[in-house]
Amino acid sequence: MIYADYNATTRLDPEVRAAMEEALDAGFGNPSSIHAAGQAARRLVDKARARVARFVGAAPEEIVFTSGGTEADNLAVLGVAGAASGDRPGVVTSAIEHQAVLAPCAFLQKQSRPVTFLPVDGTGRIDLGALEAAAKPDVALVSVMLANNDTGTVQPIAEVVKVATACGAVVHTDAVQAAGKLPVAVNQLGVSLLSFSSHKIHGPKGVGALYLRRGVALAPLVHGGRQERTLRPGTENVPGIVGFGKACELAQARLEADSCRVAELRAHFESQILARIRGARLNGGGARLPNTSNIAFAGLDGEAITINLDLAGMAVSTGAACSSADKTPSHVLVAMGQSAQEARSSVRFSFGRDNTDEEIDRAVILVVQTVNMLREARS
Amino acid sequence: MSERIVVAMSGGVDSSVAAALLQQAGHSLVGVTLKLQECHDAHGSKSCCGVDGVTRARDVAGSLGIPHYVLDCVKDFEQLVLLPAWQEYAGGRTPSPCLLCNEHVKFGLLLDWAERLGIPRVATGHYARLEKDEAGQPMLLRGCDTGKDQSYFLAGLSRSQLDRAVFPVGHLRKPEVRALAKSHDLPTAETPESQDACLVEPGQSFSEMLRKRFDAPAKTGEIVDEAGQVVGQHAGIHVFTIGQRKGLPAGAASRRWVKSISPETGQVTVTGNVAELVGTEFVAKRVNWLAGSLPAAALPCSVQVRYRHASEPATVEALADGNLRVTLAKPVKAITPGQAAVFYDGDRTLGRGWIAPPA
Repeated sequence: MIYADYNATTRLDPEVRAAMEEALDAGFGNPSSIHAAGQAARRLVDKARARVARFVGAAPEEIVFTSGGTEADNLAVLGVAGAASGDRPGVVTSAIEHQAVLAPCAFLQKQSRPVTFLPVDGTGRIDLGALEAAAKPDVALVSVMLANNDTGTVQPIAEVVKVATACGAVVHTDAVQAAGKLPVAVNQLGVSLLSFSSHKIHGPKGVGALYLRRGVALAPLVHGGRQERTLRPGTENVPGIVGFGKACELAQARLEADSCRVAELRAHFESQILARIRGARLNGGGARLPNTSNIAFAGLDGEAITINLDLAGMAVSTGAACSSADKTPSHVLVAMGQSAQEARSSVRFSFGRDNTDEEIDRAVILVVQTVNMLREARS
Repeated sequence: MSERIVVAMSGGVDSSVAAALLQQAGHSLVGVTLKLQECHDAHGSKSCCGVDGVTRARDVAGSLGIPHYVLDCVKDFEQLVLLPAWQEYAGGRTPSPCLLCNEHVKFGLLLDWAERLGIPRVATGHYARLEKDEAGQPMLLRGCDTGKDQSYFLAGLSRSQLDRAVFPVGHLRKPEVRALAKSHDLPTAETPESQDACLVEPGQSFSEMLRKRFDAPAKTGEIVDEAGQVVGQHAGIHVFTIGQRKGLPAGAASRRWVKSISPETGQVTVTGNVAELVGTEFVAKRVNWLAGSLPAAALPCSVQVRYRHASEPATVEALADGNLRVTLAKPVKAITPGQAAVFYDGDRTLGRGWIAPPA
């Protein structure tokens, strides 16, 4: 199988697996226990926390481990909103966020808190003018993703920080998709909160983290013990955290080389597809993640392409669900001004470190064949 | 000859065996489970919300080594099957939702979906057979297992829908299907029977579930006997069907049946005289005729007025408006408006119409 769905998840790195296997034994203790077994587990968590922190340029005590990206996003949005003073009920986010941000924002809206969803332009970049208009003194949080999972469009976070800071709001960025593909340094970005996830960077599933800048107030969502400075109580997922730590270390070391190579693969794939398939068009523009290609195939159904590619041995994805009335097109592409039909004709290809040149050549052939087959079936 | 075929897999034993047989025959299969209901609709209920079916179907597809996808039809199913079914109840009729589901969902949306994938044919686990007549037109035949025959539910399919359908278990009997499931080691060999669209638990009212779903008012009214004497009040005409005995107030007569339902007044008329329930003639509307053109002169055939009904000899004749006049050879009990009347020539399905209320 040609795996071209790295934005969905990635394969566990063998070094990560080895680190986790070791932790399953050596770190079986409860990190909160006073005895030697507890201390051993605690040391593993400490070491992992340092690696995870280094990956985003933070201090270890600024890392809160969670069950993954979705929980980190929820904790950021609901946690900042929950800790905000009464004169700052507002939240500003964008229309193209992942559901992990959109849904908690909608939840806040239901509780009568003012929430603004910023529009984006045709390339998928947020409208900074709209942000300036929305950034009022009653806003507690501005949450804008670092890079979009569907299109790969990179958002102008530095500008977001500038505008948000001027009105006294804290900035969260969902970096789940950007981490491992772009440099993610919290101080360069200037954000106060940043979520990222292990399984998108060749770590295990079920673990992620929220970076929380020192001094930023956050209300926990889960109540219990004192783990994660009471911000996320519960006995630590020691092997998961250890795996995440190792994955961060590897991602950091490989970032430049991997993203250069993947960018070349992607460039080759895109140029071939756009040249060889009539009516193929790239979604998103400007600065993009190096690995993501979201392509619309005029007149075709993205889901039909995805399934036929699956049957032919290539894994890709569509933002869309399934049947006619139920087929909600990608909210990202719709926010970019596309019609539902245009959005449904799109397929997301996302490449990664294990893809080879030869795979990309075969991928091009498979996509061309599939599109031709579907166009013939229609005519 | 190997073909690409989409096989609808409900997670039940029939469609699982259908998939296994097609695979054995060398076809290249794409397994699909239709998701018809949201899980949260079934919160607090033990009824199948579809998730069990999806899980079992995925399990079967995995053991056969065929790809499996879930087609989310929740909204379509509501619009194409549940809403029309409610409208029938609200109009004092009794719907046949399984026919609607086959016509508009399984051989509607699913056929369209298959076509978008470039796959012309869709297989299901229905007990019915397909053959071609001399003119090459598809003939829908009863399943060989007379107790399981589902041609009634499929009789609304058009010829072009039938041309693209495949019924791999139609020539089998249920015990043979179960035995095949066992011999193929399918995880569904022992799953219990389910009806076409199992949306309600036993004891739960389908019509009341629909009323709540569409937040519709109940048409309340009086229950009267044949003499026009009020014998009770009821909470909505939708809970009644012609010939029903349950849920009626006890009266002078030891046994009573629903004789007619008036959607205008909300009046439900009951009778203690079973002879009042029988009829020998009705009109079938919105006809789907599969055997050539509509019969211009009275055509002898047999007719089935509901699923669990042994067909009765009858003649059918097209009326000027395209409806059919159906004349039964002997009186039949509880000919129920809204139900499908399906016409047969022996095993061959001639067509289907919807039973109209008496004029």
